[in-house]
Amino acid sequence: MLDGALLVRRQRVPLRLSAASYFGGLLFGLALAALILVQLGVPTAALWQEFVVQTFLTSQGLGQTVTAMIPLVLVGLGTALALRVQFWNIGIEGQLWLGAMAATWVSILDLGPEPLRLPLILALSMLAGALWIALPLALKLLWDVSEVISTLLLGSIAFFWVQHQLFGAWRDGKTGFPTSPTLDAAERLPLLGWGQVHAGLWLALAAVLLAAMVIGVTRLGFYARAVGANRRAARAAGLPVLMTVAVFVLGSGALCGLAGAVIVTGTEFRLSQSIGAGYLFSGIIIAYLARSNPLAVLVVSFLLGGLYTAGGVLKVFYGISEAMVLLVQGVVLLSVLCAQLFADYRVVARRPA
Amino acid sequence: MHFPHPGPQEAPGRAPALLLRGIDKSFDGHRALDGAGFRLDWGEVHALVGENGAGKSTIMNVATAVYAADAGEVIVDGRDVPLRGPADAMAAGLGMVHQHFRLVGSFTVAENVALSLRGAGQKVSVAEAARLLAARAAELGFRIDPAARVDELSIAERQRAEILKVLLLGAGTLILDEPTAVLTADEAQALLTLVRQLARRGRAVVLITHKLREVAAYSDRITVMRQGRTVLDAAPAEGLAMDEVARLAVGEMPAAAPRIAARPGVPLLSIEGLSAHRGDGSRALDGLALELAEGEVLGIAGVGGNGQPELVDVLSGLRRPGGGTIRLGGADLLTASPAARRDAGLRVVPADRFDSAMAPGLSLAENLALTGVASGRFGGRWLVDRRKMRREAERLIADHEVRGGGPATPASLLSGGNAQKLLLAREVSDGARLLVAHSPSRGLDLRATRAVHGAIAEGVARGMACLLISEDLEEIMSLSTRVCVINNGRLSAPMPASEVTPERLGALLVGHA
Amino acid sequence: MTDFFLAWLTVLPGYVLPLLLASLGVVLSERAGVLNLCPEGFMAVGAMTGALICLAGQGPWLGVLGGTAAGLGLSAVFGLAVVVFRVEQTLAGLATVALGLGITGVLGRSHVQKPFDGVPRLSETSWGAELPRVLGQQTLMLPLALLLLLLVAWFLTRSAAGLRLRAVGEDPGAADVAGVDVQIVQLGAVLTSGAFGGLAGAYLSVASAHVWVEGMVAGRGWVVIALVIFARWRPLRCLAAALLFGGTEALMPRLQALGVDFPVYLGAMLPYVLTLAVLALTSTRRGARSGAPAALGLSYLRQDKH
Repeated sequence: MLDGALLVRRQRVPLRLSAASYFGGLLFGLALAALILVQLGVPTAALWQEFVVQTFLTSQGLGQTVTAMIPLVLVGLGTALALRVQFWNIGIEGQLWLGAMAATWVSILDLGPEPLRLPLILALSMLAGALWIALPLALKLLWDVSEVISTLLLGSIAFFWVQHQLFGAWRDGKTGFPTSPTLDAAERLPLLGWGQVHAGLWLALAAVLLAAMVIGVTRLGFYARAVGANRRAARAAGLPVLMTVAVFVLGSGALCGLAGAVIVTGTEFRLSQSIGAGYLFSGIIIAYLARSNPLAVLVVSFLLGGLYTAGGVLKVFYGISEAMVLLVQGVVLLSVLCAQLFADYRVVARRPA
Repeated sequence: MHFPHPGPQEAPGRAPALLLRGIDKSFDGHRALDGAGFRLDWGEVHALVGENGAGKSTIMNVATAVYAADAGEVIVDGRDVPLRGPADAMAAGLGMVHQHFRLVGSFTVAENVALSLRGAGQKVSVAEAARLLAARAAELGFRIDPAARVDELSIAERQRAEILKVLLLGAGTLILDEPTAVLTADEAQALLTLVRQLARRGRAVVLITHKLREVAAYSDRITVMRQGRTVLDAAPAEGLAMDEVARLAVGEMPAAAPRIAARPGVPLLSIEGLSAHRGDGSRALDGLALELAEGEVLGIAGVGGNGQPELVDVLSGLRRPGGGTIRLGGADLLTASPAARRDAGLRVVPADRFDSAMAPGLSLAENLALTGVASGRFGGRWLVDRRKMRREAERLIADHEVRGGGPATPASLLSGGNAQKLLLAREVSDGARLLVAHSPSRGLDLRATRAVHGAIAEGVARGMACLLISEDLEEIMSLSTRVCVINNGRLSAPMPASEVTPERLGALLVGHA
Repeated sequence: MTDFFLAWLTVLPGYVLPLLLASLGVVLSERAGVLNLCPEGFMAVGAMTGALICLAGQGPWLGVLGGTAAGLGLSAVFGLAVVVFRVEQTLAGLATVALGLGITGVLGRSHVQKPFDGVPRLSETSWGAELPRVLGQQTLMLPLALLLLLLVAWFLTRSAAGLRLRAVGEDPGAADVAGVDVQIVQLGAVLTSGAFGGLAGAYLSVASAHVWVEGMVAGRGWVVIALVIFARWRPLRCLAAALLFGGTEALMPRLQALGVDFPVYLGAMLPYVLTLAVLALTSTRRGARSGAPAALGLSYLRQDKH
């Protein structure tokens, strides 16, 4: 098939070509998404207004976008760290749920003195997230069980656990709804005085900086580069492969757990069934579009935060489901993935007979 | 040098069976064929001769439409109809025995044959394919079980299966790429005799081989390729001296590398009763034992698939052995980590450098530092010193004459020869006491082969020991001080290099001695 | 006890068949070498399309057909990405699921929770009124699914086209020189897997629930991928794997009906835990060959140097 064209793999992909195919794919995907939105009944004129002006150019919109960005940075970074050592963490939502549950648990039991409550919540949520990914990690290292499947299944299991708690012991007695009681003031991340933006922003920025440093200048970062590039060669060269993989994968789980806690303590102030939805795909699209680079994760998360903000607006004003956010992500990701072909291969027309 | 076409067997007026003219083919940057040509007439056995990497397999893959040429024309039996893929080539009557067998491992031999026959438009069932296969095997005196899974066959059995598969296609034009590499002398003779008979009855045969004796005995005409070009075009075999053919294939005759003198020093490596299994549970090493002293090169010859990669993996610490002992200078390394092995002075050059030695995506500097970072050679406990990495890389690249890139170049962009030089620069460095080298010159041209052999010889002259595992007898004979043969995971008794003759080694290789 | 068993048996197909159908699709795609993480998306569009057609009054069988076609349509996007554009298969699969879930959420928004007449039970047909309850409660989807199972099993092991498909998944290079068009075979396998996934989704809404809600696939698509792994890519073993998961799932409401008191959500969690446990216990390091196609997930390019 496709005999009209020949594909020849390029050994050296020029940077210009690589960038052109990336941004070309991105633009094509965004244009396609815009077309879909227009078909769904959003006036063309409103697209600019809702997706650019109201999300990035007004103080209120920008505040919302930054707020949405905070957990996205954490899950995107988490996915990227695991991918750096060739580990597909597709259980982001599971680790996020565990982190959120750890936070809720501390809050309900009023663990520890009040001034230490918030640090305790953050630390325990990271621990919970790391523990939730430790099982797939162990299964992969010991028995070669595909982490794609085990992390996915543990995501479902975590969600059932959340429902078990919300419909049981943690149900809010005052409202009767399946949500946990609201958090005390001491358990909330302080607001920064700009819309809903909270101190989780500093956590996310610190995580990006730390990750960039570890990857860029430390010995551990070098190990991870080698493991990601050729695991067998890294092992034969005597590098501590298992330790490296374990640190990066557990770190990935911890960041996703932290994202759960940040959502609960920063924006929602309670655990509910809907807070973790959609982060699985967002984490993956961020890690891929950012090519697992921490600073790029920050940029992509910011843009995706804008999409989340716009999604909320479209739901209210045009009655378009929040699933639109998912749809746009899928379209853009597929478009960028497909465009990669033009960078990785030379497409040659077959010579006429 | 071009000889005129006399074409004694040519049927008058009939177009050539296969005609390739001015073929160019590049693999992104690396030019494999450069205006190469080839002409095959009906009724002849035509030998295609050349070094590794000369382009013999590539030009035949162009002929059978596996590769699309960048330029040039392919004319099959006078019809200038473009072949768009292997299916078209089969329909046009071309059949090729590939050097790297094209058999589905988890299928039985009969299923593979049925797959091919159906691809060629013959509606046969697997049972019918098995019958056809058995009949043709009996005719040739090949032993083969049509119901056996291919991945459970030995390399020699796979070779027979691949040959039978292509013969059964009934192709008018047969292309055989190194078909006798792993056959016994009797089997090779039966096959080549059959092929000659087929040619006499009017078919056309291309025989790609590096065995000049086969060329002299069985071929009607000879084409020689060198570096992607045709340097001798369809010359009649009769009256052509084989050393002239060899000279054309290699270019100017290389000075023979100085032989490493056997002056064994202190005993260094002692392996006893070493056993190991493959991933599928089959036994790869079966009580293997050897002794090696400093300043010695023990050559382990053998047909591929007799346990060589597993031996390398067990020695480098990538594969867990079933049992036995590995002692290097008194330290027991059987279960030691790869890092501990390196500290003890064990260094490895595997057959596929990008499988377990280097990372194609990392830069040359990073690849060179791969083994030094963990011991703190590039930076402190926490940070890495990239500047030092780059300086060190610049020094090694200059010292070892690695061409084609600087410290920041990705290793994937180096040519095979330069990548191998880089790897040797890293492995044969301070503290190397034992080098395990698996087919270190495979796929390299003569110049690069000499550089690689020179680097090994230099290390050995400094007192390093070397375990040289190779299927290339020339390589084994030119470097080793002692030679043995691996067969089914066991070693034959080593003999001094001075007593080795190709005949003796050949007999050992196929397990007849 | 017998009553309990019969009641369990009666509801069993509703839990087992969607998993079975979707896993047959995954088997076909993966035996042709294409790693397929898409069933969650295929099932989602299948379920929604089937429901929308039923709500439009076109009848349940057209709904089933439409759901199948919707899965096929989504798989065409996936096939285009992995076969033509050579996209990394894990990422392409996940993006396809995002697309499927996004489409269903956006298009199905106004059709949530509206009941409709689905595929009739055998006892509701003119000829099936006399059937015993265990059979009478089933639909024609049961024999259809079993027929498809046998068809896929026969196709893979006995047919010439199946031989070609398996050759592509094991060694595309060898298949290519044997004259098999690798890309056509893979595209065909991916499209078939989409049709199977869409049919499985349509089963959920049109044959089982008779209503559509967003997210009604609820992770079953992910489970399917795990089932195929421990079925070792064999169609008949997929039935066993689906019975294990679906059987456990079907047990929970039955036990509750008996008055056994246990937490609902922990019960719902159990099949997933069991799947993970079986996956770990049957993993390759502990047993013999995994049965995974040798070239699963790899992209074959004829012009590569080999």
